[in-house]
Amino acid sequence: MKIKTRELTLCAVLAALALALSYMESFFPLALIVPLPGVKLGLANIVTLYALYALGFPSALSILLVRCTLGALFAGNASALLFSLLGALSALLVMALLSGAKKLSIFGVSIAGAAAHNIGQVCAAMLTLGSGAPLYYLPFLLLVSLFTGALSGLITACLFRAMAHTPYGMKGENHHG
Amino acid sequence: MNRSPKLKPTLWDALVVLAVLALAGLLAARPLFAAKTAGELTVSVSIDGETVERCALSSYEGGVYESRGYTLTVEETDGAVYVASSDCPNQDCVHSGAISRVGQSIVCLPARVAVTLEGAASDYDLIAG
Repeated sequence: MKIKTRELTLCAVLAALALALSYMESFFPLALIVPLPGVKLGLANIVTLYALYALGFPSALSILLVRCTLGALFAGNASALLFSLLGALSALLVMALLSGAKKLSIFGVSIAGAAAHNIGQVCAAMLTLGSGAPLYYLPFLLLVSLFTGALSGLITACLFRAMAHTPYGMKGENHHG
Repeated sequence: MNRSPKLKPTLWDALVVLAVLALAGLLAARPLFAAKTAGELTVSVSIDGETVERCALSSYEGGVYESRGYTLTVEETDGAVYVASSDCPNQDCVHSGAISRVGQSIVCLPARVAVTLEGAASDYDLIAG
């Protein structure tokens, strides 16, 4: 597949946006309201969700890999890479599968993605700890993911409406097939 | 492969919500199935996946655990275990609060420490006689 310059640029901008969103998240410590390890808004998932619909799976995957690698690099934390990769990849895979279901709206796909993200991160926690203990947090994390998933779904829906006039907006009818 | 997503919630989204709720419910109910034997709880402390301490809750008197440059102080009061203090950066383990029921855990990821409450340790009765 030949990548258009415009698409490549959009990918780069989205990767930068995802990185910025991950960083920005630390200013809204959801963990203060819900004291659970690993609780966060998951704003970077907005970018994954948008890229998945607007650019397709390969672009969404590359944006995600760039985001996770650079994020871990900037944080200087190698074990953070496993967490963000497992979480983000599970979210992407589940959302890619469900986005094929025509009856689901962007909200359903986003919520499933947020839930999958938590499952991936709990798996990463179990791997690093070598213990099943983190599984105890999963039910609570899943409940929180209903809200965070709905929120990022809402934001992505707004984003698609705002982008409706561009080739990467709601309909995408001007865009190549 | 440009697909246009539905931007308004549909009834099918409720199905996703129900599925997530069901999964959360199942996972939350997991200890209920395991805890058939009424009896004493066992405190199990593991560092890096290796159990370093395991004893009945009633005889547990807390402990100080060092791992990966962090020090965690675990205490016990009235049948509940909690991390009283830790010098880890995110303090999730301290904020987790106290645990007192089967299946509950406190996890400190930076220190790789997990404190878990298990059912009666009848199979592993360490004090044999």
